[in-house]
Amino acid sequence: MATTTTALATTTTALATTTTALATTTTCKAQPTYYNRQPTMDAISDRVFTESVDSSNDDPSLLTVILDLSPASWYNIKDQISINEITKSLLVFMNAHLSLNNSNQVAFIASGPQGSKFLYPNPGKVYDEIRTREEDVDREPSPGLVSKEMYRQFRVVDEAVLEELNQCLKEVLATDTHKSALSGALSMALTYTNRMLTLDQSISTTTASAINSTTNMKASSNAAGGSGAAASGTAANSVSLMKARILIVSANDEDDIKYIPIMNSIFTAQKMKLSIDVAKLGTKNSSYLQQAADATDGIYLHIDDPKAIIQVLSTAFFVEPSIRPYIILPTNSNVNYRASCFITGKSVDLGYVCSVCLCIMSVIPDTGKCPACGCVFDDRVLAQLKRGPVVMSRKKRKVEGTPAVNP
Amino acid sequence: MDDSDEEYLSPSMPPSRGSTDSPKGDGVSRRTRSSANGAISDLKGANGYAWEDEIQRSWDIVKNDENGDRSLESIIQSMIEARKKKIMRNPSTPFQRGIIRTLIVVIDGSLAMLEKDLRPTRFAMTLSLIQEFIVEFFDQNPISQMGILMMRNGVSNVISEVSGLPQYHIDKIRQLKARQHNRYEPKGDPSLQNSLEMARSMLMYNFGGGHSNDTKNSKEILLIFGALFTSDPGDIHKTIDHLVRDDIKVKIIGLSAQVSICQELVNRTNNEQKSISSKNYGVIMHETHFRELLMDCVVPLPISEKDKAEQNEKKNGVPLIKMGFPSKIQPKFTVSINNPNFNIDFPQLSASHPTQGSEDSKQVVEVSTGELGSDMNPNNVIGYQCPQCKNKVSNLPTVCPVCGLMLILSTHLARSYHHLVPLAPFTEVPVSSSYTSQYCYGCLLMFPKGVSVKSKASLESMTSSRYRCMKCSNDFCIDCDVFVHEALHNCPGCENN
Repeated sequence: MATTTTALATTTTALATTTTALATTTTCKAQPTYYNRQPTMDAISDRVFTESVDSSNDDPSLLTVILDLSPASWYNIKDQISINEITKSLLVFMNAHLSLNNSNQVAFIASGPQGSKFLYPNPGKVYDEIRTREEDVDREPSPGLVSKEMYRQFRVVDEAVLEELNQCLKEVLATDTHKSALSGALSMALTYTNRMLTLDQSISTTTASAINSTTNMKASSNAAGGSGAAASGTAANSVSLMKARILIVSANDEDDIKYIPIMNSIFTAQKMKLSIDVAKLGTKNSSYLQQAADATDGIYLHIDDPKAIIQVLSTAFFVEPSIRPYIILPTNSNVNYRASCFITGKSVDLGYVCSVCLCIMSVIPDTGKCPACGCVFDDRVLAQLKRGPVVMSRKKRKVEGTPAVNP
Repeated sequence: MDDSDEEYLSPSMPPSRGSTDSPKGDGVSRRTRSSANGAISDLKGANGYAWEDEIQRSWDIVKNDENGDRSLESIIQSMIEARKKKIMRNPSTPFQRGIIRTLIVVIDGSLAMLEKDLRPTRFAMTLSLIQEFIVEFFDQNPISQMGILMMRNGVSNVISEVSGLPQYHIDKIRQLKARQHNRYEPKGDPSLQNSLEMARSMLMYNFGGGHSNDTKNSKEILLIFGALFTSDPGDIHKTIDHLVRDDIKVKIIGLSAQVSICQELVNRTNNEQKSISSKNYGVIMHETHFRELLMDCVVPLPISEKDKAEQNEKKNGVPLIKMGFPSKIQPKFTVSINNPNFNIDFPQLSASHPTQGSEDSKQVVEVSTGELGSDMNPNNVIGYQCPQCKNKVSNLPTVCPVCGLMLILSTHLARSYHHLVPLAPFTEVPVSSSYTSQYCYGCLLMFPKGVSVKSKASLESMTSSRYRCMKCSNDFCIDCDVFVHEALHNCPGCENN
């Protein structure tokens, strides 16, 4: 793997990386009985509790990469890695994924304070035209990253992502809010995955869109697919076998994620049986992203030294969910299952819960009312809770007192 | 083969069963039918088995109407409308629900459940539907608990104890379905009174018991009743009185016909007027209706008006529960003392309830070393640490056996938050010649282009295929609309603003 890190500067070496990654995959698969773990679905209460169905590994899969572009977090780790470098690594990663199977698909979503945006696929542009035009004009978004001799599918993705990312970064600079839109990006990834998984599956579930997609098949395969009519054609035929996963790359150290939407997204991913993998840069762990990965059987990795991120991407995150049970992955099982307080927005591990609406509070509200549903809390219960440790001493007194009463 | 040939040649065969193409297959089906004819011939009349007549082909739905042309479009229109209605049924105004529920499911296990009007039998059908119900119930009511009873042979049998683990119930139901455990084959008469009393006693055990908050949890019984009678040891009206006094609500799904005592039971426990047909007592019409009735029980009950009034009068409102959100911790401590060559794996102590509610649920401290070779599932060893006393438990949700704090995963709570902040329905964009949006915001599906409107007739049958969120005014396709409202519960557009 040492060659991998050195050969990363240009994406033209993507195939070499892929072959090494493939080699690791196959060596790991060679000893499945030794590493065989029990399926995780059985005994744990917080997992999806339906049976997992074994499927062959030849099915195409969709990889959605979400890159968090919040400026402050990238500024904090500017000594370690830049967005430019991380994008290079991610492009290699996505190209490697594309090269594994002819009908594999990728999507790339950038999430910044101004909102989230699909960088690829982009239905508004036809990248085949850009290619022909650029051969004439030679106007490349980032010279050195995209070579003319590249495999066409790689180049379509790389050009689209780089060009859109440059625009996206300009928009980020223009905005002055600092809110993370990760929940929006995750929602978009899920709706897109939902479409790719269920498209044309049956006439009863996709009445309108099935007609749309058949009438507009030509247009959408050119525009949305971008990877040519062959790939999208096979995708339409074998959609039910499509697998999907989401990779979140974030350096955001602040827990300013909107709690309820992110939780809704996690549950939806659980239902759809797709894994959310998280590559966390920066200094701190993000407990919500930890929960996302843990609840969906994904991988959460906190990468301390992101300089060699391609190595992490091409080993840990490259393994498809279907063969993950056979491989011991570098994951940490210490997951912080903290919840978010509805009043202060901080994360809590010991809180109070309204029994009507289940909203979580880190402090007992002074008004004695639930901030979410407006229910009035029971005074006696409030008094009992506010007394805190004093309750213990009184109980002791009661224990002493009861024998005195009995005789 | 002799038999089948003979049957095939017999003149009594109806000519409508097209036999010319596949004589062998038809012969076999005739043989099985005639051999079992004596037992069930009166069930479905001339139609034979249920699985032989209810074949619905999707192309049969499409029929030519008078015009002949627009039939397909109108049918698709109605399908779309039906789906929209399904979404709209979810109310978008938040209202309070008693979300912490304890539900006892009582399954009829009497001889009446061997009837074959549901396929393959009423009993098997009920069990497989219950299995789906368990999954759905715990998905929607994450911190609720459930127990399953069966009334059989005049007594009531416990299938599964009250527990919050869906896998436990599913395992129990699966055992029930497996043929080698025919200890619980349907037999004898049902007894409403016995099972209701047992359910009542199980409901008394609620959330660990002894807490101040156990009064406001909703206690429910769901009865699936196949028989048309009950044989009870005592006065069932007294049992109903007890249920009313304990504020236990009963829902009944009848599999054959309406029974008067069930009606009374439902009306009285739900504070409804006498002899009114209630939504809590349904008699199934067919298989899908059975499923619908069962799935209706998944939705948490709204807090009744009476309860609200009581709360306002007494001023002693709803209880506030102190809960801990534990962290998941590694199964093993590995300590190396100043020397990386010496690694000591400490066994992990976990104090947890082995089975909730049973006799042996006295706090047991089990030592689990987490060896892969042992018969214990290594995943069981992953523990959760109580944030208050740092004690480890292996299963959630539970009450910490050391400090009595209620431990729960925050994901369990968050599962019901979409009830709190419901998503407003999207509105359909009217048909026009040009639209602002080119593709679906969620999935990038290309929308059809605007068309020039010629006549009113064509206007009615046309859709813009765009559904707009009124908050962020982004357009979505119908698939995303349904997906966002039924599964995701947050609008991708609004989240990005």
